Amino acid sequence: MTFGDPTQRARGSSGIGRFFEAPQIGRMSPASRLIVYSLLLFWSAFVLFPLYWIVITSVKLPIDVNDGPAYLPFIDFAPNMHAWRDLLVLDLAETVKPYRNSVIIALFATIACMLIGSMAAYALARIEYKPKFGTILLFVVAMVGASVSVGIWGVDWRLAAASAGAIFVLLARALGRRFKRSVGNGDILFWMISQRILPPVVTVVPVYMMFQSVRLLDTHFALIVTYTVVNLPIVVWLMYDFFSGIPKDLEESAQLDGASRLTVFYEIVLPLARTGLAATTLLVLIFSWNEYVVALFLSTTNAQTMPILVAAMNGGEKGVLWWKMCVVIIIMIIPVVLMALVLQRFISKGILLGAVKG
Amino acid sequence: MSVADIEAASTATSRAQKLSIRGLNKSFGAVHVVKDLSIDVEPGEFLVLLGPSGCGKTTGLRMIAGLEVADSGQIVLGDSDVTSVLPKYRDVAMVFQSYALYPHKTVADNIGFPLKVRGLPIEQRAAAVREAAAQVHMDDYLDRYPRQLSGGQRQRVALARAIVRRPSVFLMDEPLSNLDAKLRGYMRAELKHMQHELGVTTVYVTHDQVEAMTLAHRVAIMDEGVLQQIGTPRDVYDRPANLFVAGFMGSPSMNFIRGSVENGRFESHGVSLPLVDAAPGGDVVMGFRPEDAQVVDPGAGLFDAKVFTAELTGDVTLVTVALGDTSLAVKMPKEYEVDYDSAVAVTLPLPQAFLFDARSGQRLPARFAEVAR
Repeated sequence: MTFGDPTQRARGSSGIGRFFEAPQIGRMSPASRLIVYSLLLFWSAFVLFPLYWIVITSVKLPIDVNDGPAYLPFIDFAPNMHAWRDLLVLDLAETVKPYRNSVIIALFATIACMLIGSMAAYALARIEYKPKFGTILLFVVAMVGASVSVGIWGVDWRLAAASAGAIFVLLARALGRRFKRSVGNGDILFWMISQRILPPVVTVVPVYMMFQSVRLLDTHFALIVTYTVVNLPIVVWLMYDFFSGIPKDLEESAQLDGASRLTVFYEIVLPLARTGLAATTLLVLIFSWNEYVVALFLSTTNAQTMPILVAAMNGGEKGVLWWKMCVVIIIMIIPVVLMALVLQRFISKGILLGAVKG
Repeated sequence: MSVADIEAASTATSRAQKLSIRGLNKSFGAVHVVKDLSIDVEPGEFLVLLGPSGCGKTTGLRMIAGLEVADSGQIVLGDSDVTSVLPKYRDVAMVFQSYALYPHKTVADNIGFPLKVRGLPIEQRAAAVREAAAQVHMDDYLDRYPRQLSGGQRQRVALARAIVRRPSVFLMDEPLSNLDAKLRGYMRAELKHMQHELGVTTVYVTHDQVEAMTLAHRVAIMDEGVLQQIGTPRDVYDRPANLFVAGFMGSPSMNFIRGSVENGRFESHGVSLPLVDAAPGGDVVMGFRPEDAQVVDPGAGLFDAKVFTAELTGDVTLVTVALGDTSLAVKMPKEYEVDYDSAVAVTLPLPQAFLFDARSGQRLPARFAEVAR
């Protein structure tokens, strides 16, 4: 058979061969379509079944749960709203409190994180920083000196901070020009993300002690601050990419059109970065909403969040209260799903199309 | 075009401002991009900054816009020194090579943006936008988004956005380079007409010498950050100041033959030509334009050479001949036909040739004398 034999080619694209060949580039052959959709179907079932199980368990009586698997409501077991009644009618106050806590903490942490993070990311994307290596070292030494003098020698903290600041400024001005090596925006960005390399669990005890010493344990503020700090690197990292993707020409053009720096940011940059803002907001919101370990340490009664309530359904002399736990999980999922649906509208592709060239 | 003509054109509008650049310098790190740039742009003049990529022309333009801060020097617009004024207060409008349209705004909102940030009432804004859009024939597309427009249409929206607020100076950074050849020719004419109508002082950056020749009142040619020559298109074409300008203007570029001056005669490739205003001895370069020369039978011309290629470009036949290591281009009538490698000679009216100093590149005052043959 020769390579270019026309009869061979004709045979190849008919009959059984057609089943395995894509009709055109960018399309799938019937065979691969079958495989892909089967996999997707399988994965959907894999993901959705637990959700289904949670929903039906929330309407099961304890006996239906304990007496082995019952799959179909009305057939395998009779649905009963007792768990919903317990949580949303009888113990409503007990449910609403952590719910409100979760909403407040997640919302404020997300807002703070997005505000600070996107501004930092924008600055990193647009302004070139060249801090000298030596200056940074000097700053660290000054801070360590101040901390040591407060902690060990009992110097008044205001005095220590002021003198450390003064020494740093004087030395930086005197020696600053002699330092050669400097770090760039890439290093700053890496330093940001490097803070996520350490698992947050490791820092929980020091964070606990810190909030204890300033008497902020079990407050919304403590959790908001912690979540903001923990999520900040992710926001900076992700938003940096989105801001860098916006052509600089657009901002320069707006400046020449007479817009101030702030107008440029709100009129040009933010609308163009809204895809990234929406996606990152959702991500940070979910992180703060579902966080468990930090909340466990920093809250006892007043600032308890929903994940703590879920965990609370496990234990006690009654064993695990699966039905109640499922109710809590469902009401916990609902706002996140709603947020995702709202933000989905902004996560559209091709928003920068037509900005520069074609 | 004479200075008087430029001044006459400028009376079309009293808004036109004079733009003066004095001793502008700019370095990026160790690279000195713009060196001592000084240009006076008359009110209403269309000045083209021309040069190869990386010659500092765009940086010069960005300094006028205020997007780059000059290391030293002065930029004066009208009566005011704007050297350290923020871009938004300079009253200049710029058309970017990439057009820089705001993709999330409609055509109307794009054009109206400069007026919006100035707080103009919405009815006035709409009227101004319609007028500007009509000027670039885009008034039927006001509700479209940039992504729904073709390249030429986007280009026109960018132009409309620049003219809508009647700035004192237009800055254009290779605005036509992203268009296809046919559209570029059309937009070039539109642009020239519009600048004439509005009479706004314009600085236009390009690396395309045809664009520069056709659009400019005056052309400023830059190379390696240094202004090489400034003059009317005819001036820089007919009287290039140095080898760089001579080689850059014209397509195909000027032919150069290296040689030396001895006893008041130009000597090269065994040819000796008399000079008037005799130059001092030394290495020189003779230059002549492809359209000035002719290919003739061997022995009948000045330089005996061999045909390298002959290309029919449509209106002319471009003959490239080899003279030793030097290749010379000659424009012949389109009917002209010649075999490859055949022996020919190149001749030209000698007074139309130039003489340059080989070391400094500067054009020498000496001219070739007419040779009777």
